[in-house]
Amino acid sequence: MSDQPQESLPTSKVARAARFAKTGFKVGANYVQHYAKKAVGADSTMADLHQANATELYGTLSEMKGSVLKVAQMLAMEKNLLPPAYAEQFRQAQYQTPPLSGPLVVKAFRDAFGHSPSEVFDEFDPQARQAASIGQVHFARKLGKELAVKVQYPGVGASIQSDIALVKPVALRVMGLREEVLRPYIAEVEARLLEETDYKLELRRGQAVAAKCGHLPHLQFPTYYPALSAARILTMDWLPGQHLKEFMAGSPSQAVRNQLGQALWDFYQYQLRTLRQLHADPHPGNFLFSLTNGGTVGVLDFGCVKDVPPLEQQQFLALLAPETLADPARLATLLTEAGVLRPADAPALREMYLRTLTTSLELVGRPFRQETFDFGDPAYLKSLYALGDDLMQDQDLRQQREPRGSAHFVYLNRTYVGLFSLLTELGAVVRTQYDT
Amino acid sequence: METADLKAAYLDYLRRHGHAPKTVFAFADAQGISEGEFYRHYASFASIDREAWVEFGREARTKAALEPVWQGYGAREKLLAFYYTLLEILKNNRSFVLLTLGRSQKRQPALVPKVLNHFEDEFNDFVRELLQEGRATGEVASRPFLQDGYGRIFRRQLQFILLYFVRDESTNFERTDAAVEKAVTLSFDLVGRNTFDSALDFGRFLLHKR
Repeated sequence: MSDQPQESLPTSKVARAARFAKTGFKVGANYVQHYAKKAVGADSTMADLHQANATELYGTLSEMKGSVLKVAQMLAMEKNLLPPAYAEQFRQAQYQTPPLSGPLVVKAFRDAFGHSPSEVFDEFDPQARQAASIGQVHFARKLGKELAVKVQYPGVGASIQSDIALVKPVALRVMGLREEVLRPYIAEVEARLLEETDYKLELRRGQAVAAKCGHLPHLQFPTYYPALSAARILTMDWLPGQHLKEFMAGSPSQAVRNQLGQALWDFYQYQLRTLRQLHADPHPGNFLFSLTNGGTVGVLDFGCVKDVPPLEQQQFLALLAPETLADPARLATLLTEAGVLRPADAPALREMYLRTLTTSLELVGRPFRQETFDFGDPAYLKSLYALGDDLMQDQDLRQQREPRGSAHFVYLNRTYVGLFSLLTELGAVVRTQYDT
Repeated sequence: METADLKAAYLDYLRRHGHAPKTVFAFADAQGISEGEFYRHYASFASIDREAWVEFGREARTKAALEPVWQGYGAREKLLAFYYTLLEILKNNRSFVLLTLGRSQKRQPALVPKVLNHFEDEFNDFVRELLQEGRATGEVASRPFLQDGYGRIFRRQLQFILLYFVRDESTNFERTDAAVEKAVTLSFDLVGRNTFDSALDFGRFLLHKR
């Protein structure tokens, strides 16, 4: 991935389709290489192939920007759905994407405020500091305050649906997934994306969540500035801290990592149990970690906030409760209520679902059943991956044509997978018991 | 009556009525001046149209250059900034733009009307400066003979963008923004050092006697 600024946004559908076609060819070529190498007896592993494909795909996706990038990010969080090489490439998309041209940023400001950024702020860095998923973040200063200014790519809102229609077949083909597996994600991404293009909504949500969660320790929320924000521009405090990977590169102490992990865990528990409203995009790009007060997490990006209906919340919590797993009859009842098991299912099918779900729940729900949990335990992470692989390999499961369970569950699932992945990367020991 | 007032009165009339006044006499009379006085300022209504376009171009260049980041821009970004500023001005005068450009649209959509003549001349000068600057920084490849034709390329680009703007029906003309970004990138890809130069270099090498 070159770090050269890339200025052209292939926005038209044809241009984007052309990009994808190009990737298709390259991926195809990688396969040819793979089999050619194999034919001559060279050592080309499947992992090599995935790595090569993922690099191609990422290169293309990062040029496409906007919603396609978003889909990639969301899929990246579902590590279990993807071969690890893809997941790694996609994760990069969370940090590095090429910027908008300087004049276009100025233009966005003129459209919104009638003034250029240098007039609106005392200081404005025309070089983007970070890529946000559907825009980029600039550093600015006003009245001595350091600010982060998020600028959205023009026309993102308009092209979402056609993009998703485009990304679907390619994603299916390249990743070897079946459409049924992907459909709930795609539908969900589409709905959230449309919300995410609305920076005014994000501003309101950010303020609301910050007000409600402000009392939780070791968390930091930016203040938003409505007067300096518009539909495509969002201004907030510049939070100190680093993204997870850079932060971990500085090898912080176990105590710091535990405190950070605890802060994250409490944040999500509080949201799920008390607020019934989730910051549903826990990918590493949305959090900043710093050593302040022995470890502080800055929470960014409230573009993706999910309201959890009371019924689903109860079902979800009940499934995670320790006593559920010990009692197969209760588990079956709960799963039937949630629509995963159906009364019309053949006994063998029912058995298969129960078996897989029990395994999944045992593993995924494990942190909830213990008083403290060590996310740094490599064995746990490994078994999580293995579970994903097993589920992908399971012939019986693959033959099931329809996805099951409430769409809200897909959401909750994604949030917790994201959270777990953050916590395992932090290697934090977290007190997981929730006191009301 | 001042030239500026006369021009403002004419443009106001044009925008309100959707056409130029029937005769110079009628217009002059409505302004309380004689027909002869009008000609001391302008030869015809069409010459006011032309001048209005020239003003748009000048205003866009001045405004774009006022931006503090302007000095840090390369040739490509300067051209982008010029286009975006121009489009901003044109947006506020879209009725006028549609009237002056739109009339020729129906009959021969690809033809750019004479009203742009002077405006384009000044644009050419601007582009020539930009290209010179670009050659100095290496952003633009030096190609003797060929580079004399660059002016035409950028003229076509300007026309393309204006006509795109005229036909654009997206909210806040966001598609025009995208068109600008793409067109400018393409043009600078063409005039910058690229495959063509390498091919030429290679060809020269082969032709050289050993």
